Amino acid sequence: MKPNRIVAALQLAPASVYYSALFGAPLLVLVAYSFYTTENFDFVPEFTLDNYVTAWTSEVYRTYFIRTLRISAITAAVIAVVAFFYSYVITYTLRAHRSLLYFFVLVSMFGGYLVRIYAWRSIFGTEGIANSALMSTGIIAEPLDLLRNGEFAIIIAMINFYLPLGILPIYAAMQNVGPGQIEAAQDLGSSRLGAAGKIVLPLALRGVTVAFVFTFIATAAEWLTPQLLGGTEDQMIGNRIAYQFGAGFDWPLGAALAVTLVVVLAVLLGALFTVVRRWVR
Amino acid sequence: MRRLARWRRVPWPSILYVGAVLLFLFAPLAIVVLFSFHSSPRMAFPFQGFSLRWYEEIFTDVEVVRAMGRSAIAAVTTGLVTAILGTLAGLGIVGLSSRTKGAVMFFAMIPMSFPALLFAIGLAVYYRELGVGFSLGATIAGQIIQSLPFVLLVISATLDRFRFSLIEAARDLGAGAFHAFRTITLPIILPAVLGSMLLAMALSADEFIVAFFTAGQDKTLPLIMYGRINIKLDPSINAIGTVLLVVTSALAFISARRTSKESL
Repeated sequence: MKPNRIVAALQLAPASVYYSALFGAPLLVLVAYSFYTTENFDFVPEFTLDNYVTAWTSEVYRTYFIRTLRISAITAAVIAVVAFFYSYVITYTLRAHRSLLYFFVLVSMFGGYLVRIYAWRSIFGTEGIANSALMSTGIIAEPLDLLRNGEFAIIIAMINFYLPLGILPIYAAMQNVGPGQIEAAQDLGSSRLGAAGKIVLPLALRGVTVAFVFTFIATAAEWLTPQLLGGTEDQMIGNRIAYQFGAGFDWPLGAALAVTLVVVLAVLLGALFTVVRRWVR
Repeated sequence: MRRLARWRRVPWPSILYVGAVLLFLFAPLAIVVLFSFHSSPRMAFPFQGFSLRWYEEIFTDVEVVRAMGRSAIAAVTTGLVTAILGTLAGLGIVGLSSRTKGAVMFFAMIPMSFPALLFAIGLAVYYRELGVGFSLGATIAGQIIQSLPFVLLVISATLDRFRFSLIEAARDLGAGAFHAFRTITLPIILPAVLGSMLLAMALSADEFIVAFFTAGQDKTLPLIMYGRINIKLDPSINAIGTVLLVVTSALAFISARRTSKESL
């Protein structure tokens, strides 16, 4: 080993040890727990596959998984589209102000997780801001029940919180496509939308895919948003997992559901990446 | 006529679109801030006038003030520890070959995209197995994991643009390794280190999920806010939310200004 390699290893050591002890080890223990047995309100290290049998065969959990994937797919798709056009417009059309318009997004990404969910709750509530505004302007006569009624409020709130996460990778990918390439396409008779679709989209496709994947993962494991904004029919798999670690008090089953969620996400998103890579080539 | 032509050349659809997106992003936050100054406990329009009564209420509420203290401790500790670990690791990564570097960065970034809920329950299970009780310290240990990738990203981006020939030149001229670090490397990376430390503090102050599963009785400010959301009509939540928001956005704002490549 060369001396500067030793120095590099020593510099990397503290963070590596910390990662292993507080990220790697907890996740391994979580996986181990998914094989534990629950006995008399205690969890004992007795190997069993019962938790996975319950997680995979129960009709209830299948409903939760399917609902979660549907809500996440809708949210991530809307975010990808909105984020693509936002990045496109600030990179090319409003180029002079792009740093500032990007900066706003960056700042809004950090902070306000709970505050936003709470805000949507008061916006969508029966006596809330949306209803009071609509009623005072005479658009509606009776308050609408937007909260705890379908997935609408959940999806809007999640788009609101995770949109910056989608803009980040798409904007970064677009910085490699110069405005000259767009102008060339327009000179050759392409419309503005045509240039966006034919020139920028393929080149920024990696960024769009990353945006979709990031927001899909984040929303598929959401639990606070559906809990505070949805009804009992709108709860997601994260709510079931959190429940097993709370009032349900069946940690091994919760762990098995968590591992299942990670496996489902890895398979789906791995397939997506493969398809996109083939398509681009 | 000429003025009309210029008027037509303004990209109105683009401006409207960007304006709508930004309005959508910031409107919920603006509403919470606005109603934190509402003189009536009702959270609906028409707005009935300004008052500071909710701020008076929370700053004289022992539970809230204690939670603010805990959140401050968590933010400062997370910021300091993450900055030290991240800077050291960033310096180590620069020295690696580009292939190893890619692999190390890939693994280092995993906690950033790993679902917070699953990490939080993993931590809870882990602490139970180790016999470590839930506390503020247990929460801080988890929040450090969550902000380390961001810090590492900022620091290694700065170090990538750093010209190492400067160090070699200094060493050739007889400077010791530590002296070269203190007089050349440190001043160059210091803005990034401080910026990423502020970002880690913002992430910690706003963090809810890890705290929910591992803080136990040591409730931080977001946990107090959560506890009050389900109680009907507690307008003090608006004031707590605004305090949280002002602190985290101020930290994120300064951090982004310090670390963004293109200065505004």
